[in-house]
Amino acid sequence: MNNFFTAKRLRWVAAAIVLLNGFFPAVWILFTSLKNEVELTAKPITYWPQNPVLSNYVAAFRDQPLPGYLLNSVIVACLSMLLALFISTLAAYAIARLNLKRRNLILTGIIAVSMFPLVTLMVPLFEIMRGLNLLNSYTALVLPYTVLNLPICTLILVSFFQDIPRDIENAAMIDGCTRLGALWHVVMPLAAPGVFTAGILAFVNAWDEFLLSMSMNAAVAYRTLPVGIQMYQGEFSFPWPTISAALVIALVPVVTVILIFQERVVSGLTSGGLKG
Amino acid sequence: MATRTLRDRLLDPGETALAWALLSPALLFIIVIVAYPVATLVINSFFDIRLSRGLPITFIGFDNYAAAFADSMFWRAVKNTLIITFVTVPGALVVGLGLAMLANMPFRFRGPIRLALLLPWALPLAFVGLIFAWFFHSEYGIINDLIRRFGGEPRIWFNSPGLTMMAICIATIWKTSSFMALILLAGLQTIPASLYEAAEVDGASKWTQFTEITLPLLVPSMLVALIFRTLTAIQSFDIPFSMPGPGEESQTLAMYIQLNTVDYLDLGYGSTLAVFMFMLSMATTFVYLRYVRGDKD
Amino acid sequence: MLHKRLLAILAFQVVGVFFPAHAQSASPIALNVYVGGQQRPDIMRDLFAQYTALHPGIKISLEVGGATSELSQKYLNMVLTAKDSTLDIFLIDIIRPAQFAAARWAEPLDSYLGSEHEAYLSRFLPAYREATTVGGKVIALPALADSLFLYYRKDLLAKYGELPPATWPELARVAKKIQQGEADPNLQGLSFQGKAVEGAVCTFLLPYWSLGGEIIRDGKTSFERGKAEAGLNMWRKMVSDGVAKKNSAEVGTDDTRKEFQAGRVVFGVIWGYAWNHFQSGADTRVKDKVGVIKLPAMPGGKSVSCMGGWNWAVSAYGKHKAESVALVRWLASPEVSKQLALKGSFHPVFPSVYKDPEVLAAAPWFADALPVVETARPRPVTPMYRAISDALRINTNTVMAGVKTPQQALDEIEQRVARALR
Repeated sequence: MNNFFTAKRLRWVAAAIVLLNGFFPAVWILFTSLKNEVELTAKPITYWPQNPVLSNYVAAFRDQPLPGYLLNSVIVACLSMLLALFISTLAAYAIARLNLKRRNLILTGIIAVSMFPLVTLMVPLFEIMRGLNLLNSYTALVLPYTVLNLPICTLILVSFFQDIPRDIENAAMIDGCTRLGALWHVVMPLAAPGVFTAGILAFVNAWDEFLLSMSMNAAVAYRTLPVGIQMYQGEFSFPWPTISAALVIALVPVVTVILIFQERVVSGLTSGGLKG
Repeated sequence: MATRTLRDRLLDPGETALAWALLSPALLFIIVIVAYPVATLVINSFFDIRLSRGLPITFIGFDNYAAAFADSMFWRAVKNTLIITFVTVPGALVVGLGLAMLANMPFRFRGPIRLALLLPWALPLAFVGLIFAWFFHSEYGIINDLIRRFGGEPRIWFNSPGLTMMAICIATIWKTSSFMALILLAGLQTIPASLYEAAEVDGASKWTQFTEITLPLLVPSMLVALIFRTLTAIQSFDIPFSMPGPGEESQTLAMYIQLNTVDYLDLGYGSTLAVFMFMLSMATTFVYLRYVRGDKD
Repeated sequence: MLHKRLLAILAFQVVGVFFPAHAQSASPIALNVYVGGQQRPDIMRDLFAQYTALHPGIKISLEVGGATSELSQKYLNMVLTAKDSTLDIFLIDIIRPAQFAAARWAEPLDSYLGSEHEAYLSRFLPAYREATTVGGKVIALPALADSLFLYYRKDLLAKYGELPPATWPELARVAKKIQQGEADPNLQGLSFQGKAVEGAVCTFLLPYWSLGGEIIRDGKTSFERGKAEAGLNMWRKMVSDGVAKKNSAEVGTDDTRKEFQAGRVVFGVIWGYAWNHFQSGADTRVKDKVGVIKLPAMPGGKSVSCMGGWNWAVSAYGKHKAESVALVRWLASPEVSKQLALKGSFHPVFPSVYKDPEVLAAAPWFADALPVVETARPRPVTPMYRAISDALRINTNTVMAGVKTPQQALDEIEQRVARALR
């Protein structure tokens, strides 16, 4: 048994499973994006593209302002990530460190936000945004996404802050730092992995969202990627190869972000976060 | 000396004020973006608001609630939502645990493994639904092609409510197990290697090590992941929406709410359905919190 | 002091990022027009440029929405529920005017048309005039026409010495004969929409209407089970006899188009947009082998088609209604209809334009299309259309998938129609 488990080939099998599971859909859309429509509906279906074409990529950029959608998604995801981090850092610090009665109740209250999905809040939210004259603006998405991310960010940061020894903070305050000064100069750097993890979770959640984005920002100038990709379909048509090409392009920034930050995501979760 | 003054400062009532000041942005956001809309929904659920008919809004008490109880589509949506929840939450946990353990093996090239683990998580739900709908297409999908190659009988997946639910669950588990794996991987890496070494010395089998060391130490990470996963499972929308089965047989509660509110403009009934969803979520959270507290005591 | 002012300006700019100003200065009147992504925004922009050249006091901006009728409608539902005034004009599906009238989202146009009311409206195809008039009020002006056509393979019918069929059983016989003669297992006799898309509403209605059935008569439900059942059974028989393919429940509108285009279908029930694909699509195998004809009738019934198309409506919440109506009247003119036919091969809403030599030179098939368009009927006119549509298409789809028997499906249709119209 032991020999079997430590065998090198088992590691290869494990790696193969993980890689196949993670990459297969992405690779499949990459292949699809290189096929023309005739090949796509050929019987039996082909796996490897028979006559690879790049025309779908040309079409993806021609038919929709894809770079604009990408930019909008990045802006919305970044802004809401920063705002969520800022707000949840303050809240988490208050909950983890300051003299507060019923801190668990308050934390539960913030986490309870997750119980109300944006789908159900859409109509009232739409009316609020219209009242504030915010439809078709980044703010219309940044505000709800920030709230969407408050629970998970606050939870992660609370457990990080709790793990930082109070003495370090106290020492800083003796040296003349204010509470907030200590938070900024001492606690935050120590909690950096947690802040980082919370941030990337917030980023991905905002990057993901579709329904609210479709309703709030229908105008092309503020459309985000998940909504923009839907725009390739016509009343009757569903141009799979073009949509696949657009999906592949949409994946590039995500893959880049992951490749840059992957170690920190995992280590951030490891060193203190999400421990219940 | 210094610690005394510090303790005094900690007990200073000014600190409570600071705490509330720090909490206030979060609370303000929650009030505007969540509490106010939720209150609106609860109030609306007692009115007949069918905008596309252009009739005046009238108070009808619990009529919308009674209508929901008598509505077979509502019950079907609840049933589908519960099926998705009960299948995909444990499913994602098991698959995620498997992936985490595989990824936790000592590899020389961690980059591709991590990327493989993170990619499904970073792929927007709406895309996952589209891609899997394509996988399961009866003629052009790879699933049927593989079945055919292995000599099986290809299925028309989206012709059957059961097979559609299966396809939806598979897509959901694929998408969500990756986040689960990520959190569990983080949990795995906090388990000190010395524990396994000690167990090894005691002659414990790998399986015993898994059940006696790994699982118990992973429980805290699991619980947090499970709460969020369960809540999002109850809210399932994008994937079932992109993978419609025959008719509306695989409609979830979130889809039915969206249909009534946005498409039928029956805001009263839609709000009532939303209230039901809140109650379902609250009940779930309550159960988890009881468990978490019970566990800690 | 300066410091403070700089700070104020900075703050103002930051606020500006988050709260972009929507209201623009007044001098030229700005109209905002909403169309779906499928209605050739490029052609629309060109039209607007022509109009603003004629009317220098007007500025027109175009908002392009989702590319399907349903995505567009989701958005308009949100915007208009919130009584938003940013849109002045919208292009709405032929199935929507009743909802827009009941919700009072569309400005009734009668008073703007004045004395020439009758003369103006009489030029449109009668069915379109009817579909845009709700409760005696003109809710929208017809813009683009469409209808379901029966496309058939001229070459194959000629090869087997058959004439285009006039009834569904006749179609099944001809299709079967060709399928057997060609001995190609991939050749479908008939392709129609069994997927739960809007097209499946028409799938349900074609045989039902042919037998004289109605969903709503004089504002009341008048569901006739016998006729509905006969219709569903007709489609089921097409599948069980192998005329249509087994997974017809998976066939959406464009699947029919693609398969016909690939030469794998003898008869196809589909909208007008398919013609150009068949004639000039990059990989078409049916160029010059296609004909269109009226849809077959049920035995003992008449030939009917399902009407499609789009209309211009003026927002009741808009701030420049008079100017909007003027623009809409220009857009719904025979001249513009002709341009739309020439540039985008959209079906005209004026009978006269179908006979225009220039139009016929560009699209000779419009000569065959007009008689079909004239048999087209509007789908049930009700503010709760979407709920009726769901009841019909979803149950048609479940019957085609074999999940429900026609009896069960009809029960559910009756129940849902009754609830929608309560």
